[in-house]
Amino acid sequence: MWTRRVFLKAGGIALFGLGAGPRFLVRTARAAALPAPLGRRKVLVTIFQRGAMDGLAAVAPVAEPVLGRLRPRLALSAARAAGDEKALDLGTGWAFHPALAGLLPLWRERRLAIVHAVGSPDPTRSHFDAQDYMETGTPGRKGTPSGWLNRAVGLLGHDASPLRAVSLTPALPRALYGTAPAIAVTDLSRFEVRLPGAERAAAAAGAGFEALYRGTAPELLQETAGETFEAVEILAASELAAYRPAAGADYPQSPLGQALRQIAFLVKAKVGLEVAFAESGGWDTHVAQGATRGTFARRAADLAQSIAAFWTDLGAYQDDVVLMTMTEFGRTVRENGSGGTDHGHGSCMFVLGSQVAGGKVHGKLPGLSPDALHEGRDLPVTTDFRAVFCEVAGKHLGIGDDGALFPGWTGKRLPLLA
Amino acid sequence: MHARALTPLVALAAVAVFVITVAAAPAPSALHMPWREAGWSEREAAAHLLDRFAFGARPGEVEKVVAMGLDRWLERQLAADLPDHDLDRRLARLDALEMSAAEMARQFPRPPRLLAEARRAGVVEGRGERARDEEMSAAGEEMQDTGEAMQETGEPVRDPARAETRRAVMRWAREQGYRPERELLGQLMAQKLYRAVYAENQLAEVLVDFWFNHFNVSLTDNRTRTYLLAYERDAIRPHVLGKFRTMLGATAQHPAMLVYLDNAQSSAAEGTVTLAPGMTERRRGGRRRPPEVRGGADGAVPELPEMQGATGAAREPEAAAAPASPERRRRPRGLNENYARELLELHTLGVDGGYTQQDVVEVARAFTGWTLMPPGGRRRAAQAAPARAERMAAMGYESNGAFLFRADLHDAGAKTVLGQRFQAGRGVEEGRQVLDLLAKHPATARHLARKLAVRFVGDEPPAALVERLAAVYTQTNGDLRRVVRAVAESPDFWAKEARGAKIKSPFELAVSAVRALGAEVADPRGLLQWTAQMGQRLYAYSAPTGFPDRADAWVNTGSLLNRMNFGLQLASGGVRGVRFDLAALAGGREPATREEAVALYAPLLLPGRALDGVIATLKPTADDPELAARVEAVGVILGSPEFQRR
Repeated sequence: MWTRRVFLKAGGIALFGLGAGPRFLVRTARAAALPAPLGRRKVLVTIFQRGAMDGLAAVAPVAEPVLGRLRPRLALSAARAAGDEKALDLGTGWAFHPALAGLLPLWRERRLAIVHAVGSPDPTRSHFDAQDYMETGTPGRKGTPSGWLNRAVGLLGHDASPLRAVSLTPALPRALYGTAPAIAVTDLSRFEVRLPGAERAAAAAGAGFEALYRGTAPELLQETAGETFEAVEILAASELAAYRPAAGADYPQSPLGQALRQIAFLVKAKVGLEVAFAESGGWDTHVAQGATRGTFARRAADLAQSIAAFWTDLGAYQDDVVLMTMTEFGRTVRENGSGGTDHGHGSCMFVLGSQVAGGKVHGKLPGLSPDALHEGRDLPVTTDFRAVFCEVAGKHLGIGDDGALFPGWTGKRLPLLA
Repeated sequence: MHARALTPLVALAAVAVFVITVAAAPAPSALHMPWREAGWSEREAAAHLLDRFAFGARPGEVEKVVAMGLDRWLERQLAADLPDHDLDRRLARLDALEMSAAEMARQFPRPPRLLAEARRAGVVEGRGERARDEEMSAAGEEMQDTGEAMQETGEPVRDPARAETRRAVMRWAREQGYRPERELLGQLMAQKLYRAVYAENQLAEVLVDFWFNHFNVSLTDNRTRTYLLAYERDAIRPHVLGKFRTMLGATAQHPAMLVYLDNAQSSAAEGTVTLAPGMTERRRGGRRRPPEVRGGADGAVPELPEMQGATGAAREPEAAAAPASPERRRRPRGLNENYARELLELHTLGVDGGYTQQDVVEVARAFTGWTLMPPGGRRRAAQAAPARAERMAAMGYESNGAFLFRADLHDAGAKTVLGQRFQAGRGVEEGRQVLDLLAKHPATARHLARKLAVRFVGDEPPAALVERLAAVYTQTNGDLRRVVRAVAESPDFWAKEARGAKIKSPFELAVSAVRALGAEVADPRGLLQWTAQMGQRLYAYSAPTGFPDRADAWVNTGSLLNRMNFGLQLASGGVRGVRFDLAALAGGREPATREEAVALYAPLLLPGRALDGVIATLKPTADDPELAARVEAVGVILGSPEFQRR
């Protein structure tokens, strides 16, 4: 890839003799001398489930008889119904929602762990505030300028690729606000200088841009443009258009499925990706949440199928990747009058990876009796989300400074990764 | 002393005005901008002014500023009194701009209220229980939160049954004369874009952009959406060339801020004595739920039990129409420090302003009770016995527009803020005293001076400049016009290294490109979409910090590519709703090659800049048959590094 890059730049010099100064040559030489930031890297893939997933529907404590009483229309039991109507028993009193069937093999292989009764110490039930707190990693503090994933990128401690942090979303999420470079893009195939309907003009303009930015004052614009054109070249060279997921990787056509498909592509293309972000929406199930069918089941099926396809697609790259889901809070234990659940407190997270202590529900569930519940109604938070984020970022990405990653937090990591 | 420096004629004419002004603060002396001393040509200096105190030059504008004189141009901009007929004509189509905040809330109801009303009207099935209303309300939020507003609840609802319900509700809403909230947000964004592109009083628009961002409120917080337009219009815009203290007070009392930073929900901690303890007891003894578990609009505001009828049957329809969303209902009573913290850290002293966490708590206590008038609250208050209203006023209740001070939620104890002792029991005055204290504080002067210097001079402004601006702020008692004037008079503003040193924000880029082309914006949506794609969705920076005003926040790999593509797309006529005539711009000259086109258009689009490098770099290219040479040249110039700078 570097060979191709240098070749292309050399071609650029021939074409734009006047624009290419010695500065550019120095820069390329310097880049070539450094350890290549590209290549295989450990990658942390995060999925934000916006709207607050009902953790008790996703991974139900079926051993708690009170759940069926509080949720007459929603609760499933492992025994109650036949076939795919029943919850998928995980043993030890827990069961997956049937729509999460796609995750069951990963659970059985002990690569998938669940952290239950996890969430934020801040009691807010506002989506906005809770998402904000989870993405900044500073519950209760709105003014934190950076997101925790951006801080993680900044703490990687090595030269990084222009494609080190990529969010497959229309705008950069709060989690990636900050000074470390990060890209938001929904369609990698459009990551180029482009003018639809005038491809040759776009190519000529692209060459013009490259020459102009190379010739501009040697500061931010020049450096970033260098990274930009490198990223464009890397992507062009890695032939996204020709990308075919591995056999058996059947991605849903949903935004999440397509985001994970592109993340898998980036991982396998060895472009130096280290932090990836994707979103899954529609979890705010106030009305007609449904048991085996309905809003929740559709969202859950999309989540499970997307993750399962992603994992299959990764194939030999599975050891490089840890995938982690998060959601801003959980939902009320009791179902409401319209067959849904309202904003609650604790929920659950999924953590997937070869080094993950999988096949286990981590965290403490102090029962579902009213006095065990948060404000008498919600699953309490017994594990701070930062204990999980810190463990994953620390072990998988090698970030040692928990205090820099989560300013003001003095808690302990939850042991999850080998 | 300064009045003496004026020419006798002007001084004479202005004598009546100056007698008054001089008494308050020293009047400014004649403007002196040291551009000649710094070696700028008059054209270069005019272009620099237009880059910094306006959203870039329109065709021929540099020449116009030179002709009228640079000093005079800036004085007119500081006075902000130029007639704006062209802009007014464009804004006339945006009817929300003229509405009162209450009228906006009425015509553009928040989705939860809309859905609850639709339910009561029988448009949506349901048994009519209040609990169900609340659940449906939350669902209503989700139902209207599609498209660009997805962030909060995720994807649009695809469920066919719900889609049908939604259509029915929307149909019903139209029949009632309700309009979608996103239309209100559309008007908010359109007016910002139109003003930036077409206003003659450009400096005022640059400052509105700056100060809104300083006191940022974000539409990503659903609860603020009804209030954003009024917030900018009423709390920011009138004060950008006035006193900082006035703007600070206006933002502190505005519903947008009260909701966004949660002060509306902050109350004296459980067990603390409030200003109106008797009322609290009475209320608790009554049949109703205590106030802290009730909700007003969006559940953000506790209702005012004493100000409404004594029985449930007397409830006003609009109060019932705005039930609490479930997440707010059981919020325990207590202090919320968010506003207090950001007030100190972001709005005034700055993060290193020398305050402690204890100051944050004390300030939060001073602001307890600063909340919103619930919907219908004013009418209920008017209907209540006059004697009761008097009694409440005597206890310290105060209301002003949508602002309401609730004595029964206010922590009545003594406070100590930044070492200053606040006597107990002074109610709403305590918050005002905090604002006075903060607005006068030297740390605030420095913090604001630095932010203005960053905006107008460079990302790392010289310390001496910051000190000078802070001194002007202090001497003039926070007169923002005088501080901006001092920026223009500073040698740092005219230092050679300040030239082109700021990277345009995506909004500045889009607006300056359209202005440079002399384009007609018939529909703002295309430009707004591009602005968002380049990384700046207007009014949607979710953190209270506002958009960072630094190059490294705007220039990253993805956004830079989008900036280049924006240049190409705009030049090729591909940005929806934007029209311009490149031939006319060049006075009808027809370049044969891109080389000629670059040489022709670069000085037109980037007047007063050194462009030899750009022109030389782009010389040797093959002509492309797909596009006219000038389109490609203009696209490359608009996407060039030089055009990213101001």
